[in-house]
Amino acid sequence: MGTTNRYHSAAIVLHWLIALGLVFMFGSGLYMVNADISKAEQYRLFQLHKSAGVLMLWAIVLRLIIRWLTKQPDLPGTIAAKEREHALWGHRLLYVAMVFMPMTGWLMVSASSFGLPTIVFDWFKWPRIPGVRGDETVETIARLCHWYIAVTFLIGISVHIAAVVKHKYKDGINLLPRMWWSRNK
Amino acid sequence: MKTMSMWRGVALGCIAVGFHAVGQQVVQPWLVDAKQSSVRFSGEHAGMTFNGQFNEWQATLVLTTDETASITAEFAVASAETGDFTYDSTLPETEWFDADTYPNARFASTDIISADNGQSFRITGELSIKDRTQEVSFDLVQRAVQLYTATLSIDRMAFDIGVESDPDAEWVSREIKIELQLRE
Repeated sequence: MGTTNRYHSAAIVLHWLIALGLVFMFGSGLYMVNADISKAEQYRLFQLHKSAGVLMLWAIVLRLIIRWLTKQPDLPGTIAAKEREHALWGHRLLYVAMVFMPMTGWLMVSASSFGLPTIVFDWFKWPRIPGVRGDETVETIARLCHWYIAVTFLIGISVHIAAVVKHKYKDGINLLPRMWWSRNK
Repeated sequence: MKTMSMWRGVALGCIAVGFHAVGQQVVQPWLVDAKQSSVRFSGEHAGMTFNGQFNEWQATLVLTTDETASITAEFAVASAETGDFTYDSTLPETEWFDADTYPNARFASTDIISADNGQSFRITGELSIKDRTQEVSFDLVQRAVQLYTATLSIDRMAFDIGVESDPDAEWVSREIKIELQLRE
């Protein structure tokens, strides 16, 4: 009972939900600013991206709370100390990116002079971060941060997935059961 | 002498009033029934047409064929409603109507010229939205007894609406159409 082989069920659910959410956020985010689409489509996609971003923020906050409340499984002993260190910093980076992505998006929207509120899926109005409305400098900085963190995050996620693949196929260590439910555990 | 002078004054006054009444169409000022009337606006956002209306406003019309004609109106800008949650939450914002600072928009006529035997009027007046006042002109046409309609267009930029966020009308059209349907 003392040792844990996998993450808490709530953490597992959130990990995969956030992963799916991130696929949508990266996809919609890149598409809405780069694709040759009509203003109407771009506007709708922006509102959808903002709505989903609010849900992502809540999911991430919940995930942090669950992480704080529950016990994390230890890495298998066969993983070298240096790699454990890398994993620790890699995960820290992912968490920082995960928190700062929606925060910078929120800041950007709050500082926008356009004044468009965030109506989460036509359901409720999400507030602005106070004190920055119409501040172009804040908006520009937030936009740049949103972009650079997104790029860093994408690299981080790629390394995260690559590490799982590397450990499985090169070292013979399957890490996926730590983030899924297994019958014999 | 004093009494004579007084009576003569009254008589002259009566004649003057009589002439005045004959010289003009005597029309009482009428308060527009806002419930049966409408002040609608429309424009384009992101290539999509939006329509809305003001739910709280009042107007007084004196439609005579002489210089006593006048129109005054006041609109609560926060009552603008399009039915779209996002638009309706955006309109009262500082960049758009700035409803907290300037809760009312106003119109006051400066010149009314009647045409078609009082069936239509060329209205010129000052429209004030936020802290900007612009002269606007439009034709108010009688469609039925105590039913008048008018259509006019305004340039939102001239009223400091969305100037900072969308100066090139990339998202929101500069031209905003206003349609009036006024019933007593």
